[in-house]
Amino acid sequence: MLRRAIFVAAAWICLVGACAAQTLSFPALTGRVVDEAAVLDAAERAALTEALADLEKKTTDQLVVVTLKSLQGTSIEDYGYQLGRRWQIGQKDKNNGALLIVAPTERKVRIEVGYGLEGTLTDAIGKYIIETSILPRFKAGDFPGGIKRGVEDLIQVLSGDAEEWQRRAAQSISPNITQPDDVPLWLVIVIVLLGVGFLIFCATAGGANCQALLQALLLILLSESRSSHGRSSRSGGGFGGGGGTFGGGGSSGSW
Amino acid sequence: MSASFTSLSRFARIAILVPLFGLLVSGCGINTIPTYEEQAKAKWSDVLNQYQRRADLIPNLVETVKGFAQQERTVLEAVTDARARATSVQVNAGTITDPEAFKKFQEAQAQLSGALGRLLAVSENYPDLKSNQNFLALQSQLEGTENRIAVARRDYIEAVRLYNTELRTLPGVIWASTLYRSNKPMQEFTVSEDAKRLPQVKF
Repeated sequence: MLRRAIFVAAAWICLVGACAAQTLSFPALTGRVVDEAAVLDAAERAALTEALADLEKKTTDQLVVVTLKSLQGTSIEDYGYQLGRRWQIGQKDKNNGALLIVAPTERKVRIEVGYGLEGTLTDAIGKYIIETSILPRFKAGDFPGGIKRGVEDLIQVLSGDAEEWQRRAAQSISPNITQPDDVPLWLVIVIVLLGVGFLIFCATAGGANCQALLQALLLILLSESRSSHGRSSRSGGGFGGGGGTFGGGGSSGSW
Repeated sequence: MSASFTSLSRFARIAILVPLFGLLVSGCGINTIPTYEEQAKAKWSDVLNQYQRRADLIPNLVETVKGFAQQERTVLEAVTDARARATSVQVNAGTITDPEAFKKFQEAQAQLSGALGRLLAVSENYPDLKSNQNFLALQSQLEGTENRIAVARRDYIEAVRLYNTELRTLPGVIWASTLYRSNKPMQEFTVSEDAKRLPQVKF
């Protein structure tokens, strides 16, 4: 009995995992244009979405426009990279995502750039777009105009010249066919076979030790499946982040 | 073990026990310490990269400011000196487990942050400089780099927190005191340094 208790306790220790505490809340990634602050009408959203989808088709770069009701007390730089990481904008192998973030309440705007685009869309270019295309219109209260113009400029920068498109398009293989984060098939088979083997063994040999071992095995299996559920699932909206990540690149402005 | 278990052939017992042992042991985190260690080291090189990037921007910035504000010699010299000191600090993989070396590195970088902050603050007084395209570009790059440094530092702190916690809690502490006895806790950036970020320059 004691030995059995030790086994179960050991298995439970293995199960304990630190749950990452999320202090900020993020809007859901409902499409290429997430208009939480409601500054765009349906036609403007549709036009932007189409232009952004076009961009991804040509270059595989994912650009997302997001307007926020509130920055929840943090800076737009802090919110921006965490939002980009949460949504995983950009292809996984290229990290070629970018966000245009508008926070009308705090009067802040930011172009957040994923690792892979930092060379194309440099901080200086981002700053230039913010200062010359976006802020003048925002200052006049024209949010849709500023966003539209900013997106046009960003698309121009990201598209580069025709040759550049061709080169990138040639490199882009249809993304995410394999999900390397998943538990490999052979491991599942081995685990299942082990479980079956033990069931047979226990049925023939019996005994408390055997049952305790089975329980430990079961707990390990549970912990495996729990950790693999940690990844965010893709929503059915037809658009999702490709797995890209962000390192704080980009530039901000306020009006 | 029961009698029927011992009656099983030696091969069958090994065939059952070895994979189970492997599973149990990896489930109990025998690989966790090296994994976290490598992650923290990778985050540390990110931090170094971003600091290097900042150091690379400075000579250009100093030259540009000099062209418009020669009279600010003390501020300019302070930046150049602080950069020289920060880049002369020897950093290697051992730095993160050596409190002395880590403190030295951190202090040198903090000094450079302070000097840069003063330089950007005085540049506010020169309208010609402020509207210079080259300066604006450098300034936005510097702002972006400071932000990247902040992100890299936060990622590093998080990775080190995981690693250090693993060294001191069950089951990691078992492996730390047996297999990985040479693994030492890594140093974290102190919070007060985080507050010494560049003052935001308003246009």
